[in-house]
Amino acid sequence: MTTADQFNVQCLKKHFAKRQVLDEVAFSLQAGQTHLLSGDNGAGKTTLLRILAGLEKPDSIQIDLGKGPLNWRHVKKTLQHHALYLHQHPYMFDGTVTYNLDYAIGAKLTKRERQLQIDKALEWADLRQLSHAPAKTLSGGEKQRVSLARAWLKRPSILLLDEPTSNLDQESRHRTLGLLEAFKSDGTAMLLASHDPMHFPSLIDQHLRLDQGKLIRIDDQKLFEFDQTHPNFRSTA
Amino acid sequence: MLESLPRRNINQMESLTTTTLAALELLFSGNPELWEIIAISFRVSGVAILVASPPALLVAFILAYYQFPGRRLLISINSTLLSVPAVVVGLTLFILLSRQGPLGEWKLLFTQTAMVLGQIALAFPILVAMGHSALQACDRRAWETARTLGATPIRALITIMREARFGLMAALLAAFGRIIAEVGASMMLGGNILHYTRNIPTAIALESSKGEFAQGIALGLVLLILAFTLNAFLQHFQGKGQPA
Repeated sequence: MTTADQFNVQCLKKHFAKRQVLDEVAFSLQAGQTHLLSGDNGAGKTTLLRILAGLEKPDSIQIDLGKGPLNWRHVKKTLQHHALYLHQHPYMFDGTVTYNLDYAIGAKLTKRERQLQIDKALEWADLRQLSHAPAKTLSGGEKQRVSLARAWLKRPSILLLDEPTSNLDQESRHRTLGLLEAFKSDGTAMLLASHDPMHFPSLIDQHLRLDQGKLIRIDDQKLFEFDQTHPNFRSTA
Repeated sequence: MLESLPRRNINQMESLTTTTLAALELLFSGNPELWEIIAISFRVSGVAILVASPPALLVAFILAYYQFPGRRLLISINSTLLSVPAVVVGLTLFILLSRQGPLGEWKLLFTQTAMVLGQIALAFPILVAMGHSALQACDRRAWETARTLGATPIRALITIMREARFGLMAALLAAFGRIIAEVGASMMLGGNILHYTRNIPTAIALESSKGEFAQGIALGLVLLILAFTLNAFLQHFQGKGQPA
């Protein structure tokens, strides 16, 4: 069952044309745990993340909320409430860094409260000196930090990261990893798609691999509880 | 029209320069009848754009962001409507609004409202086509980022419109430029009634047919200045944008 600390997904299926990209995928995400999702190009990593963010409709999905079967509209609402998806190349809205951070803050706050939140986020991501810079002109690493700061302002239960350090230099990668560690410390469950697990040595608790539509568990840590009774679940452990 | 001013019959001996100077004199002397015609044009076309834009841009958004059966057909129909002559639009609405027509009871024929309806029909496909292109060119990640950051669909839609504002502004200006300069629908639906439905294009047609080229040129200059101003405004506006 999905609780505040655990998010269970079952029977996740998705096909494109005649190709079954995700075939009865089932897994659980735990608060404060980082789950690496690897796979070849086109294996379905991004599709899986986008479905979990409520951005793409699957053929089927089950999220047990203790309310019986839910239709996609309800599931989508739940996913969008809990999860936040970060693109491989983050999109910056036309405007300053401050404008981009402000976008992530709820409309109910006063102007003063909003500014306070923005200041904290700028501090958190070390972006203070860029607060008035046009966000579209930032470097890849800076955009990634703005994107993480926006996510930090939303305080999602689940962070879905698509190749967060690809095309970043070592310095930017190091800073991005630092921010991801902070999310982890705050208890955010992270599902991180990447080709290269070696980029995240200290961050990863569980390694999953997508292969021909099946989700394969690479190691044997029990931090990540799978529905191992499911017939389509395979483990290499 | 403009009986208070000396009539300037253009004959073959008069030079274009003389006529143009006379037109400028008419324009800048603040002649009330001339400026009333200009005001009617702007009022009718302005209302038409204001009414047509929200639904047209919503249709453009749906065409750009959603896949559904018949989408391609809708795009094709809209593209076809782009090339329908204004006079055909005018004729269609004339038949609908005429006394014997299905909407005859509305008694709208030869009113500014009828002209607005005609101009809406002309502006709508332009707004949809150009709006669709502008929104389709907008990075999809903008919509997804807005939604994943918790924006409601309405807020995300406004965000996308903001991101695509240069293209959308071009659509609005192109549509406005088309309808303020069209003569066919306005003539048929408005009837070219002085002080009421006579706008710039219908006045140009009338004055030229009477040999009053100075008035025609004066009003034509207004359209030229308008076209230049709209384009200059668009260029200035677009120049402030940052590349994605």
